Amino acid sequence: MDNKSIFINICGIAMKNPVMVASGTFGFGQEYAGFYDINLLGAIVTKGLTFEPKAGNPPPRICETPAGMLNSIGLENPGVEDFIAKEWPHLSRLSIPVIANIDGDTVDDYHKMARRLSSLEGLAALEVNISCPNVEKGGMAFGQDPESAAEVIKAVREGTDLPVIAKLSPNVTSIQKIAEAAVSAGADAISLINTLLGMAIDINKKRPVFHRTFAGLSGPAVKPVALRMVWEVYEAVKVPVIGMGGITTWQDAVEFILAGASAVAVGTGNFLDPLAPIKIIEGLKKYTAAQGVRDIGELIGSAHLFTGVKSRFK
Amino acid sequence: MSLFCGHAKIKDNIEIAPGIYHMVLNCPEVAEDAAPGQFIHIRCTDALSPLLRRPISIAMADKKEGTVEVIYRVVGQGTRLLAGKKKGQMLDIMGPLGHGFPIPPWVKHPVIVGGGIGTAPLLFLAESIREHKLSSAGSPELSGCEDIMKTGNSCGKPAKEFIGTVFVGFLTEKEIFGAELLKDCGFKVEICTDDGSRGYKGFPTDLLEMYLNDGPSPSSGKVSPAIDIIYACGPSPLLSKVASMASRAKIPAYVSLEERMACGVGACLGCAVKSADGGYMKICKDGPVFEVSQVTDL
Repeated sequence: MDNKSIFINICGIAMKNPVMVASGTFGFGQEYAGFYDINLLGAIVTKGLTFEPKAGNPPPRICETPAGMLNSIGLENPGVEDFIAKEWPHLSRLSIPVIANIDGDTVDDYHKMARRLSSLEGLAALEVNISCPNVEKGGMAFGQDPESAAEVIKAVREGTDLPVIAKLSPNVTSIQKIAEAAVSAGADAISLINTLLGMAIDINKKRPVFHRTFAGLSGPAVKPVALRMVWEVYEAVKVPVIGMGGITTWQDAVEFILAGASAVAVGTGNFLDPLAPIKIIEGLKKYTAAQGVRDIGELIGSAHLFTGVKSRFK
Repeated sequence: MSLFCGHAKIKDNIEIAPGIYHMVLNCPEVAEDAAPGQFIHIRCTDALSPLLRRPISIAMADKKEGTVEVIYRVVGQGTRLLAGKKKGQMLDIMGPLGHGFPIPPWVKHPVIVGGGIGTAPLLFLAESIREHKLSSAGSPELSGCEDIMKTGNSCGKPAKEFIGTVFVGFLTEKEIFGAELLKDCGFKVEICTDDGSRGYKGFPTDLLEMYLNDGPSPSSGKVSPAIDIIYACGPSPLLSKVASMASRAKIPAYVSLEERMACGVGACLGCAVKSADGGYMKICKDGPVFEVSQVTDL
């Protein structure tokens, strides 16, 4: 049953609840359709797409860590044309917003992707991945410097009329500077965080577990870092923030919202429990009701009111 | 398609060999749809570490009883927690997942090659092959092998017909499991151990090689039809030997692969295996069973 109190509109993306699924953890949606009706979600973000198909990294690609996991998938994806031919037909039939996550080796790649995907009728937004740590070129390299981040966002902005969401990397000195640069270049929203750079060593082989040495850490272990960064970005920019990083329960989601997230995304949490996003949605409904909140928007960033630091409400 | 994700009651969880456990779960939803070679994805704890589920292949499924059985070896944090679960507790499982072993109608002489804990899914396979062969031959269906750990007469009557041949290897005699069930399913079972404590001293692939070179040993009695399909599950050296022997002998062969998994449903792309036509396939979704010519780097 729809509950109006948790409706949210982020830069024109109308969602019946603020719970999305994070890019790279939900394939193209079909993988989880056997477990529940995915139209119950707030929105879906696709696996990261590149202009040309990408094979991804050689195995091993994942490694479990305390309360988390490292991944080095390497953006394996069928390329934008194959996506349009094979995945878009079923995605376009969903009743919820579908957001395409795009990644490029070059600034021009991002521009071409934006143009191509903008021709799809019904696509809700583009999430610009300037934060993938697992590729040779592009990805996180763009998101670690305010100027190159702005350059990519500008190129996407010029290629599309769709809402543009910049997905930021936590592997930076000042997340606020990157967020400000992305917004100045035309980003309509900020999503964060992508994975934290980490590594693991195989003590029997006496060498790094992953071929690329470093990999991306996700899961509950990163939640406090993600929450802090959502907090910081909320204070730095005026656009909506989509928060993610280690969310597995509705209580986690509430924390992100209170820190300043207008919506949240479940990533690694899907692997623990495919039903996690649904349980989080139910939890948010109960929480808003119990708190007497008629519009979840009232809660966004409200924890800032108690800290004496600058907030948009004070 | 509807997939099960929820809690199943543990009917039994017993150590059948040092460090090897047999768990019986009450889960009619999974039992109904399970095919041999598929797996269930088990959350070993409600806590956040270990974080990920553990994929364990289905060793038997009984639609009538609504039970699903697994046999697993304790190798790390997750399986250690699993071994500590008690009868009557609930277990969070997803499944059945993945693509299992195909059983083509033309199969006359299937050969099953198993190594160690890899024998587990082959028990379900053996029983399914027996059912397929008997039902397609028009024989009255025999009752299923209700408990895979019982020996001897648990299958009602052992199948009279010759169903196929099994070569299984274990480290040592103590670790042998499933042999009686395989026999009761109508398979001729040849056992070997790494230390020679029972049967041939060596690997099941040695036995397969001898068989392919020389045909059945005189002791096997009546001559069986030529091998027309090979199934294997076990450590990767076993799989790669089976693959090369099968392709040399031009016999179709299916192997079940293993890899650490996160999602288990093909969403995260974490369990990749190099495909023969370039790129990668997902072990959880495209497999875990592959025809050997589909994959490289076995």
